Amino acid sequence: MIGRRSLPGHPFGWFFWAAVLAAVFLIKPAQDRIDTRLAPLSAGRDLLYFSSPVVVKKLALGYDPLLADIYWMRAIQYYGRRQEAARRPVRYGNLAALLDITTTLDPDLIDAYRSGASFLSEPDPIGAGQPHEALKLLDKGIALHPLEWRLAFDKGFVYFWFLRDYNKAGRVWLAASRQTGTPPWMEGLAAMALSKSGAVESAKALWQRQYQESTRADVRENARNHLLSIQVDEDLWALEFFIEKYTEKRRVYPRRLQDLVQEGLVRYIPQDPLGAPYQYDPATGAVGLSPASKVRYLTLPYDYRKTYREKLEQLYRPR
Amino acid sequence: MRILTIARNTYRENIRDKILYNLILFGLLMTLSSVALGQLTLGHEDKVIVDLGLASMSVFGTLIAVFIGISLVYKELEKRTVYALLSKPVHRREFILGKYLGLLFTLLINVMIMTAGLWLTLLFHRGVGFDSYLRLLPAVYLIYLSLALTTALALVFSTFSTPALSALFTLFLWIIGHFNTDLLEFGKLTNSTPIRWVTTALYYALPNISNFTSLDSRSVIPHAGYYQPIDPRAVGWISVYALLYAGVLLAIAITIFSRRDFK
Amino acid sequence: MSVIEIEDLTKDFRVGFWRKRPVRALDQLSLSVERGEVFGFVGPNGAGKTTTLKLLMHLLHPTSGSARILGEPVDSVSVRSRIGYLPENPYFYDHLTAEEFLSYLGSLFGIRQPALRRKVSALLERVGLAESHNLQLRKFSKGMVQRIGVAQAIINDPEVVFLDEPMSGLDPLGRREVRDVIVSLKARGVTVFFSSHILPDVEVLCDRVAILNKGTLREVGALHEILKVRIEGHEIILVGPVLEMSDSLRPMCDELRLMGDRLHLRVQTSSQVEKILSYAVAHGAELLSVNPIRASLEDYFFSEVTHQSRLLVSD
Repeated sequence: MIGRRSLPGHPFGWFFWAAVLAAVFLIKPAQDRIDTRLAPLSAGRDLLYFSSPVVVKKLALGYDPLLADIYWMRAIQYYGRRQEAARRPVRYGNLAALLDITTTLDPDLIDAYRSGASFLSEPDPIGAGQPHEALKLLDKGIALHPLEWRLAFDKGFVYFWFLRDYNKAGRVWLAASRQTGTPPWMEGLAAMALSKSGAVESAKALWQRQYQESTRADVRENARNHLLSIQVDEDLWALEFFIEKYTEKRRVYPRRLQDLVQEGLVRYIPQDPLGAPYQYDPATGAVGLSPASKVRYLTLPYDYRKTYREKLEQLYRPR
Repeated sequence: MRILTIARNTYRENIRDKILYNLILFGLLMTLSSVALGQLTLGHEDKVIVDLGLASMSVFGTLIAVFIGISLVYKELEKRTVYALLSKPVHRREFILGKYLGLLFTLLINVMIMTAGLWLTLLFHRGVGFDSYLRLLPAVYLIYLSLALTTALALVFSTFSTPALSALFTLFLWIIGHFNTDLLEFGKLTNSTPIRWVTTALYYALPNISNFTSLDSRSVIPHAGYYQPIDPRAVGWISVYALLYAGVLLAIAITIFSRRDFK
Repeated sequence: MSVIEIEDLTKDFRVGFWRKRPVRALDQLSLSVERGEVFGFVGPNGAGKTTTLKLLMHLLHPTSGSARILGEPVDSVSVRSRIGYLPENPYFYDHLTAEEFLSYLGSLFGIRQPALRRKVSALLERVGLAESHNLQLRKFSKGMVQRIGVAQAIINDPEVVFLDEPMSGLDPLGRREVRDVIVSLKARGVTVFFSSHILPDVEVLCDRVAILNKGTLREVGALHEILKVRIEGHEIILVGPVLEMSDSLRPMCDELRLMGDRLHLRVQTSSQVEKILSYAVAHGAELLSVNPIRASLEDYFFSEVTHQSRLLVSD
């Protein structure tokens, strides 16, 4: 056989290539198994080998913004991985430090201050439950960006909602409202905080503002949940109030909520903000959120019930 | 076996390369300096020593793997020494495998030297229990696996590219390989499905170096609070991964090298 | 069965930045070499000699055509244990000593110790490098490198040896040594295939010659066959009363040159030779030599090459 052509390549023929292809397809499953086995380890993963932002900045070798982005992504993961967080000794123990490093590396990452403050302030299990850390973070941002009114808004919010320091909240908002560029409603908010502390209205206004104002989907979602929860609370308090009025008149609990309408106490029975009817137990006269409700109910941290009832008392004029 | 003959010759050549000694020296210095650095942390000296020692083993080992690896084939092609070799009864694949094994052996010696250095440093510090010395070995083993993978990568580039470009690409891929997980998470965060597919594909395709850094001082020093036991199954799967990935790389290197014309 | 069989071997290289334009370095080369021959492969630079040798060594992949050595295709690895190769301008592992280098390559043939050690020292002795056996190759002179190159080409006692420009860069002593090695190889029945552009060496050593130009085979055959048509006359050298004779002798010959006390004459036919000789002897001159002027390979070569170039130019 003269002249067998010598082909470039084909070192081993099809068997070799089949083996290579098989190896390539085995890499994915192997990696997945590794990930499964390593996942519990990462729950305690020491993301903060260097917890000093100054050291990290020095080590960034000038790639600060890039490293900031990476830390920010890790902070979001750290916050967002609920199951992993639940396994940590302290659920969000490292969050403040992560955010500190992120904002040191990139002081202009406004989102990190804002959302970070939100993650830090929300109580356990939603957030770290560290409103003071949130304030520290916001102050850091405000120092570098004094005209960024949104940071001032967030700061007042933390005082108002999480620390219940209505006075400080009002003062922060007032100072911010005096700067150029701040929208006019900040002043109104300040006024409300300084005067009518504790009113559900200002709470609603606050959450409303945050919902309209934030650029982050998860923060808006949170605000919406708070708003819906307040609506639920108001509805339930009102229903309780009118059930009491019915009972005073009739000496028995109403059989159904519709009876309140027939009695002329209310014009209609509300459903929850997402359309599910409220649950009513005629034996005990208790109302509550239906288990089928889609509302993610967040408890109000303090009792507006009393003031709301007082308002209802004032508004209610028996026919 | 011819492969071993070539491997032995490669090892001999590497041993006579000055750059090897410089890098080993630097590595050892780093480990020693960790003692001083450890004084800065309060009560965590051994953690710093172990972490810094392992990190320097990884970094300097990688530099050795890259700088010697990229010229493994390139030097022979450039200097035409490959002609005399390939006219002997040697398959081209034996050449590649021999070179690879030779450098692996060199790296093994290097890793052993640096592990000895780390043990001595720990001994000098006298803060750790005997079991920690043994627990270091799996961590060192994982680092060695990462070096084997990096070497295969450098070898692939060496078959067709100049040393400058090869070094660039290999180091680049090694660095990116530490952020594979972040890349995957980034893809999950965006709401764009095509981006998510791309990042997922990249996650599996790019060499996942973070697999090999999963054992650090937390697994070596059983202090309360952050101790993480070593999972032997995880180590097993990581070995499988390294074997598969390096195998594919070697296959690529062999193919490129076999198809080449040596002008 | 021929020891080397080449059939329509062609090699194109892609040049140009985008690797589009193919340049044909070798065009359908066909030839065969028999056992025991010393075969010369000549041509100007760029003719394709080194390309051919590299194709035979499977360092290059052919574009088309085939070649066989000892009946096996060139990409067979096993046949390489029976052949030897010396590349052009060789370069070997700097960091090894002569002994280490030959041991390394020898071990690739499966030669084990202690036979390997004996073989290596014998080899070093044979190429005259016994004293430098512990010297690192980086310290070798060009001639020494060439010699160790020859050594590594014959370490496995091959049946066929391929040498690419084995005399290049050597001084006359070095060239003589390499020539001697080739002669001794031939005496042992080894087939030698070597390329060169030092034509006098080829003339002296080769049984058959192939002439390559611009990738194409021009001529192949025994040397004396290629050159036999070109006996161009004779040269006569006389001493004696040359000045007086020169005028009378001039019409009898084609060319006359006076060089010191000698007269160089060129004639075409044998009858001219007779006439001049009788005249010279009659006038007291002494005959120093009568030599046929045979075109050397060099002349043939140049004429061929320039002829072809002229052809090309005139196109």
